[in-house]
Amino acid sequence: MADVNNALSPHGGKLVDRVMEPEKGRKKAKEAKIKLPIDGSRATEIMSIAYGFFSPLEGFMGSKDVDSVCKDMRLQSGYIWSIPIVFDISEEEIKEKKIKVGDSILLTYQGQPFAVLELAEIFSYDKTLMAEKVYGTKDEKHPGVKRTYAYKDRFLGGKVTLINPPRINPPFDKYWYPPKVLRQKIAELGWKRVVAHQTRNVPHTGHEWLMKGAWFASNADAVLVSCVVGEKRAGDYIDEAIVLTHEALRESGYFREGTHLTSILLWDMRYAGPREAVFHAIVRKNLGCTHHMFGRDHAGVGTYYSPYAAHEIFSQIPDLGIGSVLTLEWWYCPICGEVTYSGLCGHEKEQQAFSGTLIRSIIQDGVKPPRLIFRPEVFDLVMESGDKYGFGSPFVAGEYLAKRNPVITVPPMEV
Amino acid sequence: MAQTFPINIWINEERLEKLQSAGLAHLAQEAFAGLRKLSVPTDEQQRDAILRKFPTAKFDSATTKSIELLPRDIKDRIFTLVVEKKTLNVIDAFLAST
Repeated sequence: MADVNNALSPHGGKLVDRVMEPEKGRKKAKEAKIKLPIDGSRATEIMSIAYGFFSPLEGFMGSKDVDSVCKDMRLQSGYIWSIPIVFDISEEEIKEKKIKVGDSILLTYQGQPFAVLELAEIFSYDKTLMAEKVYGTKDEKHPGVKRTYAYKDRFLGGKVTLINPPRINPPFDKYWYPPKVLRQKIAELGWKRVVAHQTRNVPHTGHEWLMKGAWFASNADAVLVSCVVGEKRAGDYIDEAIVLTHEALRESGYFREGTHLTSILLWDMRYAGPREAVFHAIVRKNLGCTHHMFGRDHAGVGTYYSPYAAHEIFSQIPDLGIGSVLTLEWWYCPICGEVTYSGLCGHEKEQQAFSGTLIRSIIQDGVKPPRLIFRPEVFDLVMESGDKYGFGSPFVAGEYLAKRNPVITVPPMEV
Repeated sequence: MAQTFPINIWINEERLEKLQSAGLAHLAQEAFAGLRKLSVPTDEQQRDAILRKFPTAKFDSATTKSIELLPRDIKDRIFTLVVEKKTLNVIDAFLAST
């Protein structure tokens, strides 16, 4: 395997840009003889590849990259990569569409031409091995393992080009910053040090202090809140509430203007714990961040990973060129009378830990959490978002999953 | 003493009135400078039974070690049992009734 410099920013040294102007895209679409519809998860992964979030990936992985990522957490090129990005398909579909290596395949989404896949390889891979290597478990109760086992039996590898860039719908459009755009914005703002905060939660003050602590620890100019928008599970906060409440923290003055920016990352969480932490670090480096904060149970689920597994992994891999801010939790201490850092507070017996889950439980009980743990502006906006976007609830339920406004809309394209 | 895993029932005005009327306000603990809660204990077996019966509920294994996100009407039923029996040890009775 090649000895490469993993500290280069963007990852691999060059920001991937595989987004085509629609006029050229139409031409490319015409050349493709096979049409294949894709789902929303695949569409957003294609966007992440094409806009460079996943640099140096230029497409869906082939068998050698998948094997190398699973077993060694590296691409064949030698660059660190922790999560397989794959395009699964059934043997029946391959036969029905007469798909073969060398084909240009027009991928359609929402009934419109969306992207072109230059097919370099059709392969199979042991899904149990993939699950065990990536998630450290074969237990199908783990959501990432479940997703892996649900893959169809064959995979397509090859470069993708986005030929019909979708519209990002409100309220997400304001927070969509592809890497090239965000890097330019960071330069315009004169920010030299930016620390990323990964989130899939409405912020309570524990999150707020994690961000502020990371800002101090990295001597940063600003915090980039990178909200993961993707597959939801019943009971999660709705995406709209997550994004808007993070923005509200700055609008309400809990972060000063010029020190905080809210953004979205289109990604279905895999809950891969330490491996997902590495993935997050790479993506946020590609966005132009210089640091990334990792707290307790970063990207974990259940008890599959030790609480600080994501902290430990960074000492086992080469320098990724993005500083890791490794932090413990913040808790409420009735003796200190404040939300305080668990690494400093000596009142371990008296402390009252709180989590996003606990606050969801308080809200579900019809109780307004006190401002010390949940800002009133955030609470009000959570409720407003529930009414406006969540069919009466800020928490994901069947109606939201079935009828929510799409995050992206592909414009009509005649081919 | 075996480890217990509480179900936190957060006290809103309606629940507070009921607790006060039953002379049970002392069972509610202060939390987070302004909240009150009933911490109804479960043992491991009861915890697992509740998580099986109510799939939206979640055991917060990482931070609070408590059972959260039980539907509000279910918490109301547990709360009613606490008021009726004047004790927090109601989970066996609750499970028997579901």
